[in-house]
Amino acid sequence: MDNNEVQKRVTKVIANVLKTNEESILYEANFIFDLGADSLQSVELVAAFEEEFQIEMEEDKALEIQTVADAVKFISQYLK
Amino acid sequence: MNGDYSEKLRNIHRIFHPQSIAVLGANKVKGTVPADILVNILKADYKGVVYPVNPKENHVASIKTYKYVIDIEDPVDVAVIVYPSSVMHMALEQCGQKGIKGAIIISAGFKEVGGQGIEREEQIKEIAHKYGISFIGPNCLGVINTDPSVMLDASFARKMPEEGNIAFISQSGALCTAVLDYAQAKHIGFSKFVSIGNKADISEIDLLYYLKDDPKTKVILLYLEEISDGRGLMNAVKTVIKETGKPVLAIKSGRTKAGASAAASHTGSLAGSDEICEAAFKQAGMIRCDDIEEMFNKAIAFTYQPLPKSNRIAIVTNAGGPGVLTTDAAIRYGLELTKFKPETTSILKKSLPKTANINNPVDVIGDARADRYNVAVSSILKDDNVDGVFIILTPQSMTEIDNIATEISHLASQFDKPIYTSFMGEADVASGIDILQRNKIPHYILPESMAVAFSSTYNFNKVLEDKQEPIKTFTDVNKEIAHSILNKAIESGKRYLSEEEAVKVLEVYNFPVLKSGLAKSVDEAVKISEQLGYPVVMKIMSEDIIHKFDVGGVELDIKSKQEVENAYQKIIENVKKFKPDANIKGVFVRQMIPPGEEVILGLKRDPTFGAVIMFGLGGIFVEVYKDVSFRIAPLDKKSVDKLITETKASAILSGVRGRVPRDINSIKECIMRLSQLAVDCPQIKELDINPLIVLEDSKGSFVADTKIML
Repeated sequence: MDNNEVQKRVTKVIANVLKTNEESILYEANFIFDLGADSLQSVELVAAFEEEFQIEMEEDKALEIQTVADAVKFISQYLK
Repeated sequence: MNGDYSEKLRNIHRIFHPQSIAVLGANKVKGTVPADILVNILKADYKGVVYPVNPKENHVASIKTYKYVIDIEDPVDVAVIVYPSSVMHMALEQCGQKGIKGAIIISAGFKEVGGQGIEREEQIKEIAHKYGISFIGPNCLGVINTDPSVMLDASFARKMPEEGNIAFISQSGALCTAVLDYAQAKHIGFSKFVSIGNKADISEIDLLYYLKDDPKTKVILLYLEEISDGRGLMNAVKTVIKETGKPVLAIKSGRTKAGASAAASHTGSLAGSDEICEAAFKQAGMIRCDDIEEMFNKAIAFTYQPLPKSNRIAIVTNAGGPGVLTTDAAIRYGLELTKFKPETTSILKKSLPKTANINNPVDVIGDARADRYNVAVSSILKDDNVDGVFIILTPQSMTEIDNIATEISHLASQFDKPIYTSFMGEADVASGIDILQRNKIPHYILPESMAVAFSSTYNFNKVLEDKQEPIKTFTDVNKEIAHSILNKAIESGKRYLSEEEAVKVLEVYNFPVLKSGLAKSVDEAVKISEQLGYPVVMKIMSEDIIHKFDVGGVELDIKSKQEVENAYQKIIENVKKFKPDANIKGVFVRQMIPPGEEVILGLKRDPTFGAVIMFGLGGIFVEVYKDVSFRIAPLDKKSVDKLITETKASAILSGVRGRVPRDINSIKECIMRLSQLAVDCPQIKELDINPLIVLEDSKGSFVADTKIML
């Protein structure tokens, strides 16, 4: 899966969890600061990524993911 | 005060009196902190403008939101930030760009969680410094200002307290909410209410300096879990008291690890962190309380009523038993049950039934109605021998509880003397207590608590009268020599000074150490002894011999030239016999210690408060009797006096039961020299002078043994 594909699916997941439209989700956007996620939604996002990509993210590392870009990079790396 | 600090105080003022607030991270999820904070601000009828900031929502609580704080067109005074810690730096950075100078950071996830949290806290401190922002928190409940022109409740507490003159600063957020609930039930009002959380920027010290000049605050309460700058706190409290006479009451919980660690000296083992804290609070004039109830019992006495002019009180009761209990408590806390003037007694005699007790404590008898209380209390208040009245009520079938409460409130407003009350019971007296509390008459569930509170306000008068004296500096000391001995020992990896080195340090600080000399021959021993004066003690000097007595290397009470010669020969022979391979340096000749009272002087360096000086009854049972007291160095003359008089040893030294009075002045001088040594030589970690032998009055004292730890 290439980075573009990952980004598309990550964006879709975020839009679903944060109930916002995909267009408003920029690559550099911060989940909390730019997209208005609260702390609960941050955890929901991690769970949704795991489900979408059938992966398991370590808690420590998962919480370091703050932006769309972080998520795309982390997941792409994981899938390699 | 430098410019930066006045800027910080201006920022704190802004935090309490913002004209506009941005709530960064406010959301719609009811029952969560980001939602409740905004709701509380709105509910409190805040007199300024609020701007919710949330990147996702269009509006929160029916108010238009801004995506970022920098999008707000108008100026913003204060930011209340509830974003998670992971993005706090970004939020604070934008606050800086917006020109905001005051912030309240509610969110947790900083120093208190360790690891990355510590880095995050450092990061926000740097950003705040860069933009000149002062902030409360992080990890806190928020800030409340009840001033009707502000009405700020930037907290997630359940309710806004009533307006009052008490400022409350707490390191524990959860305790704040419990206090608010407690205070509401008793109609206790607050001027300012602050949860300082991790106090990464604004600390209790900064708030003390701010509240000193706050016209709405009369009394300051502190709840502290950890004191990071003990000296700073002491100075702030002293300044508040000295400049404004506002009392500072504090609860300090928790004990530091350093204080609990194993100690190598008597001083180290006796000076636990709690004892030091107690001493420091006392020295600063702070009133230490054990629990919330005690704190508020005292706080209402300070804030509702005038300070008593003396400790002469009167008790008015309608029940004998509680009257006796209160009398006992009053005496236990150093109060005096005054003798009434004849005219007062005469009025009481005329107006009260024959069975009533017209002397102090006045018993108006169980069937007393409001009129009897009125005549008793008003005539007593007029009596010049009375400087405070305790009123006790127990509810009988005919007791006019509400009327009596109203009468008391009315009388209290007419006299400039403190009146405290105790309406005993619960259900029947509740409405009367409510009247008293609404009228700011201190009420206590237990009548004994009146005595505790009164003694606290009375003793505070003494704190107010206390003037700090200049610290005496001795010029007959040699700091350089002391430093060179200490540094040399540290460089060679020693943890203790040898007896010789320790004595030398005390000698260059002109302590009364026993004079001595090292003799390498019989003739030298005689010469030294004659110079010192008889009697003398002689000891073998050899680094190979630790237990000098065991090898016959010690001779005591030597009174003449002949005895010196014999002793010298005997010591050398004994040592050669029992320890033939020992390298003998000579024989140490010292003045024999004259008999006297044994006291201990000590020094310990506390991680929070710095150098602590100890005094007490000395000898080998120091830890058993624990008759010691502490003060933080440097000590002025008054502190030295108190250090001594606080102990039981003080009575012994003054010559109790026909004992000879001892030279207390020489102890005082030693304590002041020790205080100077403590300040001059930070290399000394702990020091014991035990015992210091105190001779008869004006004959001085001698250091008999000392131990210095590095």
